[in-house]
Amino acid sequence: MTPLDRVTCEDAFRKIDDYLDRELSDEELARIGAHLEICAACASEFEFERSVLDGVRAKLRRVAAPPHLLSKISRLIAAERSGGAS
Amino acid sequence: MPSVVGWSAAQAHLVASTAEGPATGMISDVSPAAAPSFEALLAPVIDAAYGMALRLTRNRADAEDLVQEAALSAYRGFGGFVPGTHFKAWFFRILINCYYATYRRRRQQPPTVDFDDTPDLYLYKQTHQAGIPQPTLDPAASLINRLDTERVNNAIEQLPEEYRVVSTLYFMEDLTYQQIAEALGCPVGTVRSRLHRGRKMLQKALWALAEECGIVGELAGRGRS
Repeated sequence: MTPLDRVTCEDAFRKIDDYLDRELSDEELARIGAHLEICAACASEFEFERSVLDGVRAKLRRVAAPPHLLSKISRLIAAERSGGAS
Repeated sequence: MPSVVGWSAAQAHLVASTAEGPATGMISDVSPAAAPSFEALLAPVIDAAYGMALRLTRNRADAEDLVQEAALSAYRGFGGFVPGTHFKAWFFRILINCYYATYRRRRQQPPTVDFDDTPDLYLYKQTHQAGIPQPTLDPAASLINRLDTERVNNAIEQLPEEYRVVSTLYFMEDLTYQQIAEALGCPVGTVRSRLHRGRKMLQKALWALAEECGIVGELAGRGRS
């Protein structure tokens, strides 16, 4: 690994969250993406982290609100509008 | 006082269309005259709001009360909502503020996992050290897929509150860092650093659960066989 590669690995690693969350500019995304094309170690770490995020996200969806909740809120708002809410 | 109208066909269409797309809660290109009512904006985000409230309060009855309290508070302050901005982030901020004001004091539980100094790439390093095979399967997916939904939810619930809240907004709601910052009323940099730390803590909690369930041993055994 050359010193230049080393710096690029560190730079890529510092931006791993922003990269995975697409919080970087197009230019930075492309720059990190290009590094991942040529660096198997970083690509492996990034892929692992992405898989963790996707796995957790898939496990956490979704909770439905109780069916009556919205109508209950509507009644509260109607009471508020008519000045009847406490 | 904001005007609240009934559920017209146009609003039902608006609700349906905003509930489908990735930018749920975002109403753009709406003239003031055609601005949707509070209820029309609330309906597509009610499930998300209840889910968030449930994660905050960890109790269905309290979650329901919290959403009602937040909805009433948001209705009273609806004049301050700018049409075209992200309603969900705006409403979540009110929801979280209501939680802090009312429910937070009741629910102070110490974390069961010691999260101090969790290193970067925690799960990646642990799976390597445990000998879970890397080249032949996706070790992260293998590990998490074997954890049931309840346990993954518990892993998030174990996080200290400031990390639990930001992680819930991140994982459950697909909000950008900016939108999370709006919901929490804090700078984007704070969101970024809390998310980074929250992710590491979550990995540590997931690993502890996977070890507890025997998943680590099972996967590592595959690597040796």
